[in-house]
Amino acid sequence: MTELDRSIYEWQLDLPGFGEAGQERLRNATALVSRVGGLGGPLALSLAAAGIGKLVLAHAGDLRLDDLNRQILMRHDGVGKPRVESLKATLRAFNPHIEVEAIPENVAESNAASLVGRADIVFGAAPLFEERFLLNRECVRQRKPLIDCAMYGLEGQVIPIVPGETPCLACLYPEVPEHWRRRFPVMGAVSALAANIGAMEGLKLLAGFGEVNLNRLLYFDTAAMRFQTVKIRRDPGCSVCGEI
Amino acid sequence: MPQLVFTYTGQLAAAAGAAEEAIEVAPGATLRSALDFLAARHGEAYARHLFHSDGRMRSTLLVVFDGEQAAGDKESLMLDGVGTVMLMTPIAGG
Ligand SMILES: [Zn+2]
Repeated sequence: MTELDRSIYEWQLDLPGFGEAGQERLRNATALVSRVGGLGGPLALSLAAAGIGKLVLAHAGDLRLDDLNRQILMRHDGVGKPRVESLKATLRAFNPHIEVEAIPENVAESNAASLVGRADIVFGAAPLFEERFLLNRECVRQRKPLIDCAMYGLEGQVIPIVPGETPCLACLYPEVPEHWRRRFPVMGAVSALAANIGAMEGLKLLAGFGEVNLNRLLYFDTAAMRFQTVKIRRDPGCSVCGEI
Repeated sequence: MPQLVFTYTGQLAAAAGAAEEAIEVAPGATLRSALDFLAARHGEAYARHLFHSDGRMRSTLLVVFDGEQAAGDKESLMLDGVGTVMLMTPIAGG
């Protein structure tokens, strides 16, 4: 570990169970963040702050005005320009010592295997189930941990998935929910909260400290400030992970 | 009759208009019978998150008994001994 690293990460090196070994593990890790909107953006920032070695950001499209209530790493002058490039610039300015790869594509059949293939851990923050299920299937196939982060209204949910050890997304939701829509109510502080819970689960998993919420999902409702852990089960007949 | 608390999340909470409600259930009641009762009370906007149009329960509805995902076929789950039923509809917002 360099003197510069020691200076930057000094305050977290004192964390019980983390230390220089944990920092080294983060330094050697690559994370894929699928979509960098209200969830993926703050999530990527927290991974960058912690000193992850490399971030691969996948998100298609240009920033719109109606993104700005939650996509808090973007800037007003970035409207009309690629989101993923704006986020890369913000992250590079914040922590120039990590590598950031910006991919202006969403996870799809054509790129899922190669995107997941270059990561040690994957964070799912896409607004549609088709995309999340694809990411889940690929993570299970490649045995990569997936932190599924979600939000709706004033509620959020984080599910850490370790293929073969925990339920996968398809164990919980065997089919695409018929009534889920791309457009949903959202407030930026809620997505950032879910993002940072997801970031913490991933950082613990990568660095090997603390206790990851395995075989449980965390649900919260900020309307009543209610946080709840729910024990979840693998589906032995799961079409995605039932055979592993 | 014993009171049973139902809590809702996501789109189901929005459709129910509340995050929580209590109903009376008879001993030996099934989850299915309670959901049929609640669906009749709240109407189609609520019921569509529980049931397919052919009446089968949706596979995507997560049923949680006292903090633990209920095991087994949802259609035949019994409510005896259950204090709180949490019904979670999937969320994916980014
Ligand atoms: Zn599965």
